[in-house]
Amino acid sequence: MPLKRAVITGIGAVSPLGSDVGEMLSGLEAQHSAVRFMEGWDAYKGLRSLVAAPAMPKDGQSIPRQSRRSMGPMSIYAVGAAEEAIKDGDLPADILKTGRVGCIIGSTMGGANSLNDVYESMSIHKDLSQLTSMKFFQCVSHTAALNVSQYLGINGVVMATSAACASGLQAIGAAYDLIRLGSQDVVLCGGAEELFPTVTASFDILFATSTKYNDRPALTPRPFDADRDGLVCGEGAGILVVEEYEHAKDRGAKIYAEIIGYHTCASGLHVSQSSKDALAASMRGALFASQIDVKDVDYINAHATATLQGDKEEAEAVREIFGDKVPVSSLKGYMGHTLGASGAIELIASLCMMRSGRIYPTKNLDRVADDCQGIWHVQKMLERSINIIVKNAFALGGLNASLVLRRH
Amino acid sequence: MTKEEIIRRTNEVFAKDFEIAADRLKPEAQIFNDLGLDSLDIVDLVVALQKQFSVTIRDDERVRNIRTLGDVYDFIYLLGQEKTL
Repeated sequence: MPLKRAVITGIGAVSPLGSDVGEMLSGLEAQHSAVRFMEGWDAYKGLRSLVAAPAMPKDGQSIPRQSRRSMGPMSIYAVGAAEEAIKDGDLPADILKTGRVGCIIGSTMGGANSLNDVYESMSIHKDLSQLTSMKFFQCVSHTAALNVSQYLGINGVVMATSAACASGLQAIGAAYDLIRLGSQDVVLCGGAEELFPTVTASFDILFATSTKYNDRPALTPRPFDADRDGLVCGEGAGILVVEEYEHAKDRGAKIYAEIIGYHTCASGLHVSQSSKDALAASMRGALFASQIDVKDVDYINAHATATLQGDKEEAEAVREIFGDKVPVSSLKGYMGHTLGASGAIELIASLCMMRSGRIYPTKNLDRVADDCQGIWHVQKMLERSINIIVKNAFALGGLNASLVLRRH
Repeated sequence: MTKEEIIRRTNEVFAKDFEIAADRLKPEAQIFNDLGLDSLDIVDLVVALQKQFSVTIRDDERVRNIRTLGDVYDFIYLLGQEKTL
């Protein structure tokens, strides 16, 4: 039996630039930076990066208490993004409870705020008496997936991908596979993440964070730039409606794009160092699956977080496959690195670029670093007809994911 | 602690942790049926009361007999009488 086709019919995002996709696009259009100095973070001894990009959610109070009680910030972001995606995709409410709709939402490690509450109770106070019944549901790595599915009444396949910064793109890839195999008709999928000093600390310890711009937050992160000094953590959620093509066509849904290729692979080399060869293998795998020629790609939305090593490896991998023939930009300079959500949020922004024919440049890329040369860096707004997009997401652990989409 | 103080501080828990409007906080209100709490909320109610009154009640069998808001007031008052407050 031939594999089915998967298309994207709805999008929703809670991001550092705003509480919905429209606000995110306005921020991108205006070239805004959502990065700010984080008051109070200097209380953490040894934490050098004191900047981050907090999300701008709507008030979560609209979610009834008994649904909201199991949600930490990332789940509230995910619910907001999921509701927007459902509305945007004009998905009928009754379809959610048929068992034919799934929900796959990834994150790095679940709810960081609640995890910290539990650490403090257990490790510092050695006392369970102040732990509520909801901490588990707010902490677990599938917290966003379980909360969104419970809140919406979804009873199909519910999963949470856990591949750090590639979690969101892996979730979309997993949804793509479920649709292609005919297991589900629709999957709400993407990623979610929440800020907390421990999250930034995990990168800070590895010397991967930006530390020189605490007094000038808007100037960092600086993907591919000669003065880049590391990543800046962000938070939010991006959710897409991935739907079987005939199903979407039958109900007259608007179609943003078709997913035509996906690949995920590990480097098998090092837990933290990115590998040019593994990044290239990820993109090549997705391109091979999509059966398109390299020259047909119109835009690459890079992972590029502004780490010294990661950007260099990604630039080399892109150069090896595409040379300088395809425009490349990273959105981290606007929204920071939204980690497990980044693949989904940035893919949504890329779909909007596909529709508008306007490619947002890499913010803070003033002077391309010597080790990132040889690819087509977009440094100012670029008008271009976009038919095919490649989206990358790379993660600690040597994990990589790439997706190829074609305009419908 | 006076009964009035116990009522005020108990109601504070129901208003803050369970978002229940003040006019619904009547002694005869059934915690499950009238105030809408469920079994998971009861776990959290115990945590909140422990914190509010600095008591340890998680393993107190008498918690199982609580049905109404008035039962909560009486139980906390009784704890005070037992000099656990």
